[in-house]
Formats: sequence, structure tokens, C-alpha cells
Amino acid sequence: MKIRSLILGAAAGGCAVGLTLPTTVAAAVSEEAFNALSDLVNKQGQALEDLKKTHQQDQQQIQQLQQQLGETSVLATNAEQKAEAASQAQTVYQAPNPATSATHNFIVTGDAEVQFGKTSGQNATFALADFAPIFLFRANDDTLFEAGFDITLNNNVDATGARAPGSSTTVSLSFAQMDYNLNDYLTLAAGDVILPLGTYSQRAAGWLNKIPDDPLIRDWLPGSGIGAMLQGAAPIGQSGQMVTYAVYGVNGPSSGNATNGVANASDLDLGGNVGDSPNWHPNPSGGGRVAWFYPWKVHYDVELGVSGQTGEWSDNRQHRWSACVLDAALHLGPYFEAKGEYVNTWFGTDDLGNVDPHGVWVQAAYKLAGLKQNLPLLNNLELVARYDNSDDAQGTRTDRYTVGYVYYLSNTLLFEGDYEFIKSHGPTALPPSLFVFQLSYGF
Amino acid sequence: MKAKSFAWLATPVIAGVLAFLPTAQADDTTNAVSPTAPAPKKISGVELYAIHCNRCHPERYPVELKEAQWKTIMLHMRVRANLPAEQAREIMKYLQEEAGN
Repeated sequence: MKIRSLILGAAAGGCAVGLTLPTTVAAAVSEEAFNALSDLVNKQGQALEDLKKTHQQDQQQIQQLQQQLGETSVLATNAEQKAEAASQAQTVYQAPNPATSATHNFIVTGDAEVQFGKTSGQNATFALADFAPIFLFRANDDTLFEAGFDITLNNNVDATGARAPGSSTTVSLSFAQMDYNLNDYLTLAAGDVILPLGTYSQRAAGWLNKIPDDPLIRDWLPGSGIGAMLQGAAPIGQSGQMVTYAVYGVNGPSSGNATNGVANASDLDLGGNVGDSPNWHPNPSGGGRVAWFYPWKVHYDVELGVSGQTGEWSDNRQHRWSACVLDAALHLGPYFEAKGEYVNTWFGTDDLGNVDPHGVWVQAAYKLAGLKQNLPLLNNLELVARYDNSDDAQGTRTDRYTVGYVYYLSNTLLFEGDYEFIKSHGPTALPPSLFVFQLSYGF
Repeated sequence: MKAKSFAWLATPVIAGVLAFLPTAQADDTTNAVSPTAPAPKKISGVELYAIHCNRCHPERYPVELKEAQWKTIMLHMRVRANLPAEQAREIMKYLQEEAGN
């Protein structure tokens, strides 16, 4: 635009000069003036040529720019088409996100046991084949579904408990709970949740117990319950010390033999109220646990806990069942462990009034590797002893002394054995002795 | 009578606790009164792994499982053993470094 104005201006200037020079003046102009005018015209002509060249160069540059603009438009159009094609392809197939893929984070863990034993007055026999898988589905970093089963093979018995032909496989759901971490201090667990009455239920797998038989008083506590639980832990400092806590509501115990609304002591069913029809009684049970864990160095720690549960148990809604559990565990180095629980339960009945079964168990174990002997056989051996005391408040009292061993074939394959001396009196007294060997595998 | 029957068993356990606890408490007290004492050492993931696993069972070797599997196991154990989230994360860091492939 400017160049064109300059060219037109120069031409106009030349015309103006020509017009303004009268003929009379031209005729009278000197050679010097003519030469000056001629130089001026030449210079203007030269300037006009320069402007034409510049104009041509500008035109070429404009064409180049227009060409580049066209190429850029083509590239943008292609990119847009490719993006659209890619988006259409993604709607057909979307790559799985590992963070939200449950099947990607699926694990089977658990344990298996085989027992061989002899109870006084009976024949020695292989007594147990147990497979207890735990299925873990991790939906994301804060959500887990876990379910544990107990699959055992049993001899058949008739209705009176006498021998019957054949065998049967029992499959029971030990627990099935959904865990969701609400934050760093609270986890919600719902479903058939493992109850934190003491710690034994949560650490009851065969390869964890060190002794094949459960403590006697654990029979008086439910292992799991249908309901929901809030649990968590708060660290104290940065040394590993912590306080743990849990509070829950579950259906609770029920009357196993609901006979015309009568709730006798023998009707107490600790784990039978699973919410299926019929609904045994309307009011759930509540409970919780609080504990303190203090490691003063690695492998040296103590844990103390108190837990309890209370709620209605009888279908006639006349009676409550309550429990209080004190638990403790101690590790003094990598070789010595001691733990135990005190359990007291109370429940009202129509036939016996208030009944309060109670008892205690304490257990100690020592790994002979602590003797620092260069004997592999010895280093894999752990000696175990347990004392049980129970009073069912219905006439049976039992003291049981157990000594045994654990031989570690590997860190998860254990060969255990124990002998139990039993002093038991009352209507449901135990036999005076038994021994049992167990091969346990944790996987 | 019943109480007496098991009280003697609890005695050595309690004695053991009392025998070891004062040492730790004395250390803490010393740290508290000394102006030049270093800040308490933060416990590491490998130490937490050793402490918490051995509460119930022998330690598993980290190479036994892959990282993604350990994440699932740790979420399970955080609930089962009631581990604080921060400690569970420290243990997971250790397992991520040592996990099998």
C-alpha cells in the first residue's frame, strides 16, 4: 500500500514539475538548469525502478507467506482429523486402568493344614484336612474386598453323633468384608467382619498359632459378625508406637433353638444370626477394642488391649450377652514371644439365670536359634507351651497344659506337634490327654 | 483359687516387661533433658516390616511377590494388623524397592 502511494506520488511529482514549467521559461532555460532538471528526472526514474523492485520482492514474500499459511492449514486439518479418528478409536477400545481394575489386583492367600492325632480312649488317626483360602480383590489403593473360606473333610455322623458311612466336605465362609480407608485414621469394614474381641480371631490361621488346637475359651466368643466396623490406628511419635481402636455394630448372638420363645443356656448361638430370614431378634450388638502397641526396638515390643461386646441374644428379647476380653502380647528379641487373653462373658438365660463363663490362656514360645548353636536342625526348632483355664459356669472346669514344638521347614511351611495334659471335671469334661501333629502351610 | 492357678504364670511375663521397659524409658528421659540430644530417629520401612510381620508370623521375603501383589497384601495387612497409614506407606516403600519382578 505504501509502495503504491510512493510510486503514484513520484509520478505525480514529475507531472507537476512538467506542468509548472512554462514553455517560455523552457525556452529560456540555461544548460545548467536543464542538466539539473535532467538529473532530477533521472534520479526520480531510478527511485521509481527501486520502488518497483521492492514491490516485486514484497509480492514474492506475500506469496511465500500465503503458501506457508496454506500448508499450516493443511497440517492443522490433518491433525484435527487424526485426533477425531483417535477419539473414535478410544470409544471402541479403552486401555484398562490398573488403579481401578479389580481383576488386575487379585490375590489368593491363606493356609492349609493336615493333622494326625490321638485322643486318649480313641484310635490314632489323620484327623483333619483343611484348606483355608483368602481371596483378596484390591479395587484401588483404598478399597479391598476380602473373603476367607474354610474347606474341611469330615467323617459322616448321624443325628446322634454316632458313626455313619461316607464322608462330607464342609465349606464355610469364615469372613467376607469390604474395607475402605476413609482417611489415614479410619477404615470402614462392612460385611461378615472379623471381630476384634482380643486378637486371636485375627491371627488364627493354622501357621500362625504355633499350637494346632485353639485356646479353650475362644469357643465362647464369636469369630465374626454381620455388620459394620470403624477401625484405625494413630501413631505416637515416629518410633512405631501406636494406639489402635475399633468400634462396631453386628447382628450379634441369637437363640439357636428358638423353642416357643424360651432361651435356655444351651440355646445360645454365638455366630448364627447372619441376618437371613427369619430375623432372629431386632436389636444388634455393639462392641469395640482399644489397644496400645509399643516397640522399643526391632523385635522388642509389647501390646496391651481391652475389648468387649454387648447386645441382645434371645429371640424373646429377655436376655443380653456380653463379653470382656483383655489381651497381651510380648516379644523380647527375635526368639521369644509370650501372649495371652483373659475372657469373661455374661448372658441371661431362662433355665440357669445369669451365666458367666470365664477363663484365661497364656502361651510362650522360644526359637532355639537364640542359643546361637551352629546346628541347622536346632536352629529351625521352636518350643511352645500354653496354659488354659476355663470355667463354663455350668459345672465344667478345665485346666489344660500343652507342650509342643514348631519345626520350620521354611518360613511358611511348618511341622508342629504338641501333647496336652488335661484336668477337666463336669458334665462336658474333656478327655485327659491327647497329642496332635500338624503340617501347616501359609501361602 | 482360680485366680491363683494362673497368676503365677503371668508373673514372669510381667517381670519380663518391667525388666525391659525401664531401659527404653530411661533412654527417652535422657533424650528429653539433654539440649544437645539428637531428634528421635524416624523408624524405617524395613524396621517397621520386621516389627509388624513378626508380631504374628515369620517374615515373608519381599521377592516372593511383585509390587502390585504387595500393594494388595499391604492393604489387607493394614486392616488385619491395624497398621497406621503412615507406617503402612513406609513398609510399602521398602517392599516396592525389594519386590520381585
